[in-house]
Amino acid sequence: MLQAKASRIAAKPLPDQAPKQSVGERLMRALEAAHSNAGQLRWLGPAMLALAIVFPWFTGPFFMRLGIEALLLGAVALSVDILLGYAGLLSLGQAAYFGLAAYISSLMYLHVTQSFWLVALAVSAAVAVFSFLLGAIAIRAKGVYFALITFGAAEILSKIANNTRAIGGSDGLIGIPVPSIPLAPGFAIDLHSNMAFYYVVLTGLVVIYLGTRRALDSGFGSVLRAIRDNSNRVPYLGYNPIWFKLLAYVMAAQVAAFGGLIYPLLRGFVAPHLFGFEVSTKAVVVSLVGGIGTLIGPLVGSVIISFLESAVGSYTERHMFVLGLIFIIFVMFLPDGLVGLMRRVSARRRSVTP
Amino acid sequence: MEDLLAYLHFVMLPQMIDALVIGVALAVVALGLTLIFGLLGVINLAHGDLYMLGGYATFTLMGWGVGYWGALVLVPLLIGLVGWGLEELGIRPLLPRADRATVTLLLTFGVSLMLRDLAQVVWGTDTHAVVAPYSGMVRFAEVYVPAYRLFIFGAGFVAIATTWWLVYRTRIGAVLRATAVDPSMVASFGIPIRLVYGLTFMYGCGLAGLAGVLLSPIYAVFPTMGHDFLVMAFAVVIVGGMGSITGAVVAALLLSQVQGLASLWIPPVWAETLVYGLMLLVLVVRPSGLFNRIGEA
Repeated sequence: MLQAKASRIAAKPLPDQAPKQSVGERLMRALEAAHSNAGQLRWLGPAMLALAIVFPWFTGPFFMRLGIEALLLGAVALSVDILLGYAGLLSLGQAAYFGLAAYISSLMYLHVTQSFWLVALAVSAAVAVFSFLLGAIAIRAKGVYFALITFGAAEILSKIANNTRAIGGSDGLIGIPVPSIPLAPGFAIDLHSNMAFYYVVLTGLVVIYLGTRRALDSGFGSVLRAIRDNSNRVPYLGYNPIWFKLLAYVMAAQVAAFGGLIYPLLRGFVAPHLFGFEVSTKAVVVSLVGGIGTLIGPLVGSVIISFLESAVGSYTERHMFVLGLIFIIFVMFLPDGLVGLMRRVSARRRSVTP
Repeated sequence: MEDLLAYLHFVMLPQMIDALVIGVALAVVALGLTLIFGLLGVINLAHGDLYMLGGYATFTLMGWGVGYWGALVLVPLLIGLVGWGLEELGIRPLLPRADRATVTLLLTFGVSLMLRDLAQVVWGTDTHAVVAPYSGMVRFAEVYVPAYRLFIFGAGFVAIATTWWLVYRTRIGAVLRATAVDPSMVASFGIPIRLVYGLTFMYGCGLAGLAGVLLSPIYAVFPTMGHDFLVMAFAVVIVGGMGSITGAVVAALLLSQVQGLASLWIPPVWAETLVYGLMLLVLVVRPSGLFNRIGEA
């Protein structure tokens, strides 16, 4: 309760600061506020989930694997949205955690253990430590500097992976065994089946999504949004922005690491490009297309973009051009993304027929 | 002692001269980035791809028989025009937004994706060689340096000096510096801010084009040449201080020496990693870089 109040107070600009918001910006904020209360688009999450559940019944292995890739990209995009949509931090290096998780899990499968849960635990712990350290450095920087630090860190990791012979250098690691996931004594899921693999990833992502949603709808999320809207005022309300941002950063890293944990099992290999700029920025692109600050948007965006890319890719090799064009259109004309667009449309319809 | 001197003379000195030449070219690219950031607050992620376009334009123009010297004049103008179009159509509508730093960064990223793909459509994925206008070697303190590298050094130096003169010694530069500090105040004097923004963007992109012409005979022309160089130019701008002209030049010379000398003792790819490490270190210790933004004392 108190946190919610805090976010409301902090959202007001200080009197001596001229509000630097355009009309569109204010309109967006107003719409956002109206809709979060009205609980608009409640159907979107369940509808997406239903679609995702029935999807493999009608498709072959190619599209199922594409679906899995879309879900993994969705995890990285979700982590971008946690940072950008809630804490106001643009990370251009979320691939760092995707790649880190992919490499650590691959190395463990190859050299240490075949136990999925042990590997997951180790990956989570390692990513937590690394993201805490890097986050402690990065969040002290403001605005574009945060973007550049995260970008630089991911670039360094990519170079290191590229240049270290022990972890395969530019060839990466190949022949990663696919483990089975024991759920109860005597019952394990075999990931060799595409269908089983798909549902495991879907379940994992849904759990992560709901957990993230729960965390960000709480007081923690309110304080984060307050920091995003007016970070100068938040300390006066008794909250230290550093800790909240750091927690959000570590949390986002964990979400991105989920994608990296699964990816090697899908492809059977990892390579330095997993750390690269392409992965990081694609995650930003799909978040923006879906809708920043909505949590569901990045998932919608990653599904749409993944399938679109595959469709365009079968006609022309120039899918990056199309991706760039779509991205520019969204940046310039639809900054609140597809989910924002749907919200506006449904709000208009509601106001017409009360 | 003799050995040490010989080592310094014949191993380190050529490496340092090489690094100096690359450093000057890097400074030209970084100057464009830093001017645009200093004035508009825009991080131009398409800058590397404009550099790439500069390289390809040189290749094509020379194929049409324009010759290297024609390309040297025409390409910066062409790339400047592309930049002007980018500012007019893409950047300007976004500037009034509160989150302009983020959205313009995202926009230029989209432009970068498109340009890189477009280059592959037009010129293919092959590497194209560009013939240098000079082929001889110049002997300099018993060290042989390709004449063309000396030319790059000279041309880059002229570009840097001209930029410095324009910004700090002319009326246009005074307007530019004032705009960086307080655009609304400058506008109230009746100065067309839009033109100042447009021209600065154009000039900055033209510098990227110039670097494309200068370096294309050395590195040849290929689709990802922009990305690799952009990352390096960002390291330079971050270390020197975003929006600082002196910083961009000093950091470009410094980082290219670090990379050049380090690659004598460690594999060149690790030398590159070292440069990024240095960049992160600067960000941690002094996030605003070594020098101040244009307009700030």
